[in-house]
Amino acid sequence: MSQQSLTLPATGPGSGAGSAKARRIRRVLELAGAAAIAGTYVFLVLTQPADIANGPASFSALVALGGFFLGAVLLIAAALPVLPTSTLVLMPVALVLNVVLGQLMGSTGLPFYFDAIGTVLIAVLAGPAAGAATGALSSIVWSFFNPTVLPFAAGAALIGFLAGLAARSGLFRRFYLAPVAGFVTGILAGVVSAPIAAFVFGGTAGLGTGALVSAFRAMGDTLLAAITKQALVSDPMDKAIVFAIAAMLVYALPRRTTVQFPFVRRFRVLAGTAPETPEA
Amino acid sequence: MAGAILAARICSFNFHGERAPALRDVDFSARPGTVTAVLGGSGSGKTTLGKLLAGWLRPGPAGRLRGSLALAGELLEFQGGEDDPRINPAAWSDRVGYVPQEAAAMLSTVRSTVAEELAFGLENRGTPRARMLREVAGIAELTGLTALLGRDPATLSGGELRRLAMACAVITGPGVLVLDEPLASLDAAGVIQVRDLICRLTGAGTAVVVLSQAADGLARSAAHWIILDGGTATATGTPRKLIRSAELARTGTVLPAVTCTVPAVRAQSPVPDTEPVLELEGVGFGFPGAGGAVHEPLLRNLGLTVRPGEIVAVTGRNGAGKSTLLRHFNGLLRPDTGTVRVAGQSFAGLPAGRAAASVGLLFQHPRDQLFERTVLREVSFGLRRLHGREAGSRAHEALETVGLSRDAATHPAELPASKQRLLALATVLARRPAVLALDEPTVGLDRHGLGRLDHAVSAAAARGAAVVLVTHDAAYARAAAHRVLELDGGCLRDA
Amino acid sequence: MPSTLPPLTSLTAAGCTAVITTAAGTWPLSLAVGLAAAVLAVRAGVGRRVLAAAAAVLLPLGLSLLMLHGLFFPEGRTVLAVWGPARVTAEGLTFALESGTRTGACVMVLLLFSFTVSAPDLVAALAGRGLPPQFGFVLASALTLLPAMAGRLDNIRAAQEARGLVLRGGMLSRLVGVRLQMVPLVLGLIEDSGSRAQALEARGFGGPGPRTSYREVADPPAGRRFRTALLLFAAAAVALRLAASWPVAGPS
Repeated sequence: MSQQSLTLPATGPGSGAGSAKARRIRRVLELAGAAAIAGTYVFLVLTQPADIANGPASFSALVALGGFFLGAVLLIAAALPVLPTSTLVLMPVALVLNVVLGQLMGSTGLPFYFDAIGTVLIAVLAGPAAGAATGALSSIVWSFFNPTVLPFAAGAALIGFLAGLAARSGLFRRFYLAPVAGFVTGILAGVVSAPIAAFVFGGTAGLGTGALVSAFRAMGDTLLAAITKQALVSDPMDKAIVFAIAAMLVYALPRRTTVQFPFVRRFRVLAGTAPETPEA
Repeated sequence: MAGAILAARICSFNFHGERAPALRDVDFSARPGTVTAVLGGSGSGKTTLGKLLAGWLRPGPAGRLRGSLALAGELLEFQGGEDDPRINPAAWSDRVGYVPQEAAAMLSTVRSTVAEELAFGLENRGTPRARMLREVAGIAELTGLTALLGRDPATLSGGELRRLAMACAVITGPGVLVLDEPLASLDAAGVIQVRDLICRLTGAGTAVVVLSQAADGLARSAAHWIILDGGTATATGTPRKLIRSAELARTGTVLPAVTCTVPAVRAQSPVPDTEPVLELEGVGFGFPGAGGAVHEPLLRNLGLTVRPGEIVAVTGRNGAGKSTLLRHFNGLLRPDTGTVRVAGQSFAGLPAGRAAASVGLLFQHPRDQLFERTVLREVSFGLRRLHGREAGSRAHEALETVGLSRDAATHPAELPASKQRLLALATVLARRPAVLALDEPTVGLDRHGLGRLDHAVSAAAARGAAVVLVTHDAAYARAAAHRVLELDGGCLRDA
Repeated sequence: MPSTLPPLTSLTAAGCTAVITTAAGTWPLSLAVGLAAAVLAVRAGVGRRVLAAAAAVLLPLGLSLLMLHGLFFPEGRTVLAVWGPARVTAEGLTFALESGTRTGACVMVLLLFSFTVSAPDLVAALAGRGLPPQFGFVLASALTLLPAMAGRLDNIRAAQEARGLVLRGGMLSRLVGVRLQMVPLVLGLIEDSGSRAQALEARGFGGPGPRTSYREVADPPAGRRFRTALLLFAAAAVALRLAASWPVAGPS
């Protein structure tokens, strides 16, 4: 075994951050991922079949699957290799929390999904990049038990990313602002995910949401419009509650634990945490 | 420090966001081929020191270090600023291995066999496969894991897991090995195997550092002691010089030989003609197995009668069903056959939470039992419904009993392990249950904690509570209880 | 029971089958694929688990689709029945059937893959293909942690019941109870992950260098050729579908 140096080189932010070229490549991957998701969405809305009477459009399904999946993969490829190990080990935890806390909340009988609590929690502690990668990866792993969540990976990444942005801009410092941020996130995530539900699955998985879509359809909306409207009714409320639960959990954690996260210290994510004052 | 392979001079080390230093004025050095013991009570900073020495806590990302670390002839100076050297954790751990107290924390959780878990560190270093196979076989031989190479790490026993964690730490051949409480919660066989492994390692020239809150046989075999108290090294020297020192006595370090002789004969058993408060009759129980089949029953036709004021200890080997027995007292588990009566009343049909008013059960892992934001809120939880206006004074009284009055505003998770257990005990005591059931209450307690536990148990018995405690520590059982019973083959018999 | 196929081959087979079924978009094919997956699952000894998981996903979806398109399908022309605002149309029912069977086939095929693949083999194979080791870590670690959570949550619940917590009554008191259970679970997991990160770093996980693998996954050349063929076939199916219904020629 070659004896490496005991210390890391003095410059550069982290072991994996690498050169300017590597950073540029990552930036390109991130932009390409975001562009793939946005482009796919616009394309699907513009080209949605006017007449679906001949059966579900395989064309739109393939485009939706391909475009969103590509976007999610690009985002993961951009974020994953540079995340520090301390953030990486939180990702499986986020996934487990998404599943377990979702089930726990489901036992209260509230008619929402609650499937992003872990993702939001990790985004608040570790930042937007970690949140986005967590959201996308947790969809991929969760699809081992429920393959229908796989196409929603891009939407989950968006939720994690926006939660991280909200934390960075201090929205988790006031308890009442967290649900507001969740509400806005829900609007965006719901709209982006609607084409998946419409073109890939032809509807929604729950009976409650199905009834809502039926109501909009009865008023003569197209399928995509009906599902988008349904998402605008359910998702913002759902995400507002999820953000509130995540905020509650973060504040229930001991300060000693939360303050260990550089993201929390650097951007003063939580009330009462003083910004880092380097005394060199 | 001449001849030391690893040396540290810590002026201060602060975790981020904490004003009080976790460590202050600690000088440390370890020599090849010897055991160095760092002794101190719970919360004395042993683990922080160990992790700092091993590169698990890195100055910079983890906190602010002022001082220096010297490893294998290389000296690193830290001022606590941005220009400090940054430790490369992988390279550092090639030379200093660390095994945490919770051995499972060492596992990657991504490898499905013991062999692959051992190889994980080699894979990450790009070791060629042929050499990897050789090294895995070699380390398995050294640590006695050869027969277990194909097993899933999640299925190992405590002692096997500890040896696997040690093997993972030494597979890269470090010159220093730091072990955090290497003997904690091991049974006798496990202790012998781990001590034997430590002997082999020192024989091969490794400097072994043991962090311990007990001055047990392993610590006494050390060449050098460092006594930590409140994050500061209060004394260093040979065991012979320090074993009777005032500095050691001030810390919470447990001195096994001393505590074993303390047991003066307890107060006489309470008068036998009082009505029993806890009665088990013909209790049989087996966990349902996969597919609905019932496993071999754990408890069969078990009978137990405990009177008010009586302290009963239950011992038995691992897996004998001791914890299962305790969970029958408050209805967390229901017997397949027979009855459980508390104060003459059966809990059949009531939710387990209701039984908590009369039966207090202390679990093995305090972390699961605590959920509030402060110590005081934790103890006060649910008291108002039980005691009405007295709730506040009951809570303070319980905290006083376990010596946590001064920590009332602290977050429970920020307490050291020993105090967390005492807090869990206080939550049980505050409810003044008629039956107090304690599962392995001594594990993880330092000497101060043991004293508090002893005090609390006697006080509860004096007030007329029946106390049943389960322990693997036979000496403690004899010392603490009026009666010692052994659980064997599903039945209790006098030990 | 683990599959005898190399993990990459079964992954490719499942993925390509799902894509081809989606591209084809005819319900007889979807139904056949779903049934074939069910038969294979039963023969691999995981029939019960696959079917249970599939039912949990597909039943609500199926019912929802039937209600949605069966009763409300404004584009439908062949009206079979009318109840107030609801119109049962042949087109709506066909749409529900097409969507339901297509999703059903994909779900069955992917579940067949995930319940038969050996996760360690899959992770080793993916790492061997140059996927970042971080991906394998998240996948494998999550699959290890998930089954352990039920036990952990049980312990927490028991410990709290022993302190007099009774989870009964209305939604609000349940919500309070859930909060109390979440806190120890989240705190425990986050603290564990902190020390796991330190352990992984110490064992060289964060290092940039090349890695080797202890586990050897057999990957015979026949499997590789089979994968190439499947990928080409799936690509062709997608290309045909895209070309056939490119929307520029479609809606105005």
